[in-house]
Amino acid sequence: MGRGRDRDEWRLRDPVRWVKGRSVTRSEDAGREPSVTAGADVFAVDGEIGGDLALVDWEATPLGSPARWPQSLRTAVSILLSSRFPMWMAWGPDLTFFCNAAYRRDTLGRKYPWALGRPANEVWAEIWDDIGPRIDTVLTTGRATWDEALLLFLERSGYPEETYHTFSYSPLRDDDGQVVGMLCVVSEDTERVVGGRRMTTLRHLGSDLSVVRTEQEMLAFTGRQLGRNLRDLPFTLTYLFQDDGSARLANATGVAPGHPAAPAALPAGDTDGVWPAATLAQGEPALVDLRRAPFTALPTGDWPQPPTQALVLPLLRQGGGPYGFLVTALNRYRPLDDGYRGFAELVAGHIAAGVASARNYQAQQRRAEELAELDRAKTTFFSNISHEFRTPLTLIMGPLEELRGQLAEADPRIREELETVHRNGLRLGKLVNTLLDFSRIEAGRMRARYQPVDLAAVTSDLASVFRSAVEKAGLSFDVDCPPLDDPVHIDYGLWEKVILNLLSNALKFTFDGSIRVRVRACDGHAVVTVEDTGIGVPAGELPRLFERFHRIENTRSRSNEGSGIGLALVWELVGLHGGTITADSVEGEGTTFTIRLPFGHTHLPPEALTPATGTAPSLAGPLSVTSAAADPYLQEALRWLPDDPTAETTEAAGTAPASDPPARVLIADDNADMREYLARILRGAGYLVDAVGDGRQALRAVRTTTPDLVVSDVMMPHLDGLGLVAALRADSRTASVPILLLSARAGQEASIEGLRAGADDYLVKPFIAAELLARVRASVELARLRGHHARWRTALIDSLREAFFVCDENGAVIEINASFADILGYGADGLPYAPAHPWWPDAETDPEAHRQVAESFADLLGQGRGSHTLPVTHRDGHRLWISATFNQAQDPETGRRVTVGTFRDVTAEHYAVQRESALASLSTCLSRATSLDDALRGALTELKNLWRARSVLAAVFDGDDEPALTATDGSPVWRLLPERRRDALTELRGRPPLSSVTDRTGAGVLLEHPEGPLALWIDLGDHRPFTGEDQLLLSLLAGHLAQGLVRAHQIDQQRETALALQRAILGPSSLPDGFAVRYEPATPPLEVGGDWYDTVTLPDGRIGIVVGDCVGRGLEAAAVMGQLRSACRALLLQDARPGRTLMALDHFAADLPGARCTTVFCSVLDPRTGHLTYSSAGHPPAILAHPDGTVRLLSEGRSAPLAVLPGRARPEGECDIPARATLLLYTDGLVERRRRSLTEGIDQAGAAVQAGRNIAVDDLATQVMTRLAPEGGYDDDVALLLYRHPAPLDVVFPAESSQLAPIRTALRGWLTQCRLSPPVLQGILLAAGEACANAIEHGHRDAPGGTIRLRAEASVDDLRLTVTDSGHWKPPRPEINAHRGRGMALMRAMMQHVTVTPGSTGTTVDMHTRIT
Amino acid sequence: MATPLTLVPDLRPDGVALLTAVGEIDMSNTDVLAAALERTTGAVVLDLTSVGYLDSAGLSVLFAHVDRIELIAPPLLLPVLNISGFTDLAPVHASPGV
Repeated sequence: MGRGRDRDEWRLRDPVRWVKGRSVTRSEDAGREPSVTAGADVFAVDGEIGGDLALVDWEATPLGSPARWPQSLRTAVSILLSSRFPMWMAWGPDLTFFCNAAYRRDTLGRKYPWALGRPANEVWAEIWDDIGPRIDTVLTTGRATWDEALLLFLERSGYPEETYHTFSYSPLRDDDGQVVGMLCVVSEDTERVVGGRRMTTLRHLGSDLSVVRTEQEMLAFTGRQLGRNLRDLPFTLTYLFQDDGSARLANATGVAPGHPAAPAALPAGDTDGVWPAATLAQGEPALVDLRRAPFTALPTGDWPQPPTQALVLPLLRQGGGPYGFLVTALNRYRPLDDGYRGFAELVAGHIAAGVASARNYQAQQRRAEELAELDRAKTTFFSNISHEFRTPLTLIMGPLEELRGQLAEADPRIREELETVHRNGLRLGKLVNTLLDFSRIEAGRMRARYQPVDLAAVTSDLASVFRSAVEKAGLSFDVDCPPLDDPVHIDYGLWEKVILNLLSNALKFTFDGSIRVRVRACDGHAVVTVEDTGIGVPAGELPRLFERFHRIENTRSRSNEGSGIGLALVWELVGLHGGTITADSVEGEGTTFTIRLPFGHTHLPPEALTPATGTAPSLAGPLSVTSAAADPYLQEALRWLPDDPTAETTEAAGTAPASDPPARVLIADDNADMREYLARILRGAGYLVDAVGDGRQALRAVRTTTPDLVVSDVMMPHLDGLGLVAALRADSRTASVPILLLSARAGQEASIEGLRAGADDYLVKPFIAAELLARVRASVELARLRGHHARWRTALIDSLREAFFVCDENGAVIEINASFADILGYGADGLPYAPAHPWWPDAETDPEAHRQVAESFADLLGQGRGSHTLPVTHRDGHRLWISATFNQAQDPETGRRVTVGTFRDVTAEHYAVQRESALASLSTCLSRATSLDDALRGALTELKNLWRARSVLAAVFDGDDEPALTATDGSPVWRLLPERRRDALTELRGRPPLSSVTDRTGAGVLLEHPEGPLALWIDLGDHRPFTGEDQLLLSLLAGHLAQGLVRAHQIDQQRETALALQRAILGPSSLPDGFAVRYEPATPPLEVGGDWYDTVTLPDGRIGIVVGDCVGRGLEAAAVMGQLRSACRALLLQDARPGRTLMALDHFAADLPGARCTTVFCSVLDPRTGHLTYSSAGHPPAILAHPDGTVRLLSEGRSAPLAVLPGRARPEGECDIPARATLLLYTDGLVERRRRSLTEGIDQAGAAVQAGRNIAVDDLATQVMTRLAPEGGYDDDVALLLYRHPAPLDVVFPAESSQLAPIRTALRGWLTQCRLSPPVLQGILLAAGEACANAIEHGHRDAPGGTIRLRAEASVDDLRLTVTDSGHWKPPRPEINAHRGRGMALMRAMMQHVTVTPGSTGTTVDMHTRIT
Repeated sequence: MATPLTLVPDLRPDGVALLTAVGEIDMSNTDVLAAALERTTGAVVLDLTSVGYLDSAGLSVLFAHVDRIELIAPPLLLPVLNISGFTDLAPVHASPGV
């Protein structure tokens, strides 16, 4: 540290001066014979330094000859020389310099031996300003100093080097007690400080949790982090290669842009540029000398002098040339060693990964958006164009109909043109409707209602529509449809389109021969074939036959008209029915289309099923029906055929109004004969006829398609004629439909009269046909005049893109338009819809949405006006969002108060908003994740909630036999998944990433997981539609997730690094034998806290053992802990007395914020004797578990926590740890619980140690932690340290028989420490001896030079011996070596369990015996 | 280097050869013991009172002379002699005063 000093005053010295100074000294030395000074025996302690000290000309120093040195100096020198810890000392008026071997090695470097005997201020001239005042303090006050990690520039390696030292100066006194010198105990922290600084930078680099980041943001962020470490990175430049091969400066730290060293661009192929871009483009690093042009006036970073070298590293790209390169100016005060280079490479690696990540993300994002945009545009286009055509078409066709009526008598040419307009209008309408069908299918809004029908009858009815046209074309028409035994579920309207399209297609391409329609049952399916003898389809075109807008060019047909979508629609419609359609064709011979529909309804969504009704041409009777939908097909087909003047005459011969489209009449009569009779009469007169069996069916039929006239019998089941009249009149939409009642008996005449206000007309049976026709015609014409306005209104409302509805005063929906049905799936046939309406969200499963709708409905009833955006449920169950506006109005006819409203489907907008929030919410979730697994689990839950899915499953194909699974529910196993799911996931794996797929049960997507491809499946439950919007969202989220997972993975890796770092400050990396430790931090994921344990092996072989507990927890406490631990360690090394150590620690803690009130148990153990000296600074007593089962608390030597009473002497306690006893040191987190006394906890800990006194200490440590853990885990830091006396014996020796005796001696000594009786001891000795002899003889007979390891470990009752060799045992051959067999017998006799485990790398003999 | 073992040959007053061993006997020095026993003829008494360790390699040397040997052994060595069955084949006397 600069310690606030001016930079100019940094005491840096030219290394040359060093060489000079030294050479002068040596030349002086050379001038006289080196001679050993008298009294030099004081230096004999150390041969290395002592020898050089003896050569110093002491007479030339104020200290004079060593022979005359005071005893105090001699003692100090011998302590210094005998210590293995780095130390130096200064003595006398000039502070004459001494040091020991460790100091020479670590710190003095090239100044040795010049420094010996010189004044200290000369030796350390370059740092004297730093250390001089400290030494003065020591000398004047007699108080020791303490400095931790002080920055000093040492010139020990030929250049000023950045170093950090922790040291303490303590006074040295002469024989009279006067302070005459100082002793410095020092340890070098350079590696730790510099390493820590670099780790900090790397951690900062990895700390950005924001998931989405552009390249620019990433570089800016990285730059900010690199700019925080101007010591290791005085300046950096990040260049990125451009497409043209040049390099662009993308980021600079520590240097201003525009500096000559930081050109904005480096041209391609420039070999003489400022930076060696060409070399880097090859992926090679370069080391650049900065002491030449153009590197002048370089920034200096945090240092006084500019850097002299820069390391230039490529930003490597996997499987490609580098992205660019990173210039890192190097700290001139540190060598470019492996650590430094590794650091720079990690930084470059991080930037390269960041660039890769940002570019990859950008590319993925762009791709997903483009795909989605394309899809959306296509659907919108279809939807818009259809709607936009429909409105003008309505406005063309309405007036056109009128014109045709008005101009019935006009000039034939005008009429002909009008007919042309009319026919083409119909054709356009048909095309638009087809397109609309497509957009409905695409948007999942096709509202099919499947009901059981006799498919043969329906199909043959439909076919008959074409009969006249086919025959007129000179073709034979063969309809072969015998009734089927089982019903088939179809949507009548859709099926009609299928058959009409196929027939129209056949007619178009067939010029002679026949068209044949057949219906059969085959293999559980109804099979419908439409076969023609037309021109056929070329084989190459067959596969594309059902493609949308695909037309076969240059074929002969009756017309060139055609959009190429008819067959595509057929294909979609058959698919909706759960069926298939195929085409077979031979060119020139004909084409056969084959449709296969399953019987039954299990293949159809249950909510779309309706029971059989009479309205459809159904099982109720063989009534022929011509739907308005057939008209355009027929008209179009007829137009292809040559003109036939008789056709018009035939049409004109009808009694229906010739100028108008045929009027539609609905017949309601329960008598089938009557129904048929009426139908025949009316159809014969040119009317379109529908027929139903009762009033209820009639009501439904009227609401679906409003007829021009209803002819109803009075007497009918369910709802009679009078009821029907009342119901129709009550509904504004049907109030104007004219009704003709048929009464059975003349006696009812009076009541019929009374009903005249309701019905428009009546007829009494029997009646003659002419009478009926006259009444019908009159009613229809009257109604057409009357209803013109109403129809016009209906047509307009129906052409609205917005859904339209009218509610009565109770809130029941009584009128709707087509868009309403399109959007919600609830059509006019279900009117009226009483509240709560069926599209309300379910109160059980989605109470929030239900509440929202209920509130706005209350508005509708109360205020009568409003505007709301609401969630509603489509008839097929999927969620929609609508934006509704409504207002009160007065019905002009009835005077009732009604509410008129419109709404629009804002699902797309809603989901766009939702998409944004879903992305945000996923980001939040990912940024909170603390691990890769956590990130994935969180994300799956987000997806599950977003789609209200049943479950979400992720399979990572990580290269193992089975993919690793993660799910929102439970822990699934791959093998136990349904096969269908396994197949779906495996299939996903073969798809491009981020393109989602969907089927009836859910949706899936593939994305990249750091451990392999991840297939993700969202299980939506049955038949929930997953729209294009959903698929887009899933793709985006998957891209996002992939990105997040990469980052989580990086965080995982960084955390591992951080953990390694934390563990390094927690405790010693290796423990002496016999010890076991545990640490449980209170604040995960931190691995450190305020508690610590430590062991220090002291120079004399004793072991310092410390357990401490700082106030607080978490990182702050850990920082304090780290310093206290280091200090305590250094203090113990200096003075191995626990009491003194704690007193010194008091002073240290007093100046260290946060260290006050730390409790410490500090002890020194002699492992040979078990003698323990200890002192406790307010710490809970250590626990000693005796082998006899008793427990003793080490509660002597107690005093206050640290820094509470500084300067107060601290008492010490002592005890002897008996053989095979176990010592437990711990922090209060182990024993302290709420609402329980500490004593109780300590007793429990004692009992736990006692209970495990027979298991190995390491296992015991685990057991104690487990036994004492409170429910829910420890909520405070816990440190625990166990020692069992004596520590295990562990020796490794060469496999030679001469080693047997010394090993026996060592083992005998250890066994004696275990206090075993002589016979037991002798038995164990013999067993060990035999095992070792075996190892020498069998294991190494043929391979000398191996080693043997003997390990002995004792617990209270048990002793375990392990002998391991590194050779191959020869199988014993008793005939040669009888005594070896005897040896094994002896081992078994002496020990209770003997196990011999041969292995490829050696043999292990494991023996146990009870020793009590 | 072999384990230290000193063997002092002597003759008892009754003319029986007496070999006194001091040290430890293991596979590194059984050849020394074997050679010393080879040098005696007829009955021999081997005094192991001052031997602190005897392993199976040493036993195998003793077994080779089991028909003519008598042992004087300290209590510490008795278990190994018993377990190996040596005491069943040759006389073993407890060391006096130990």
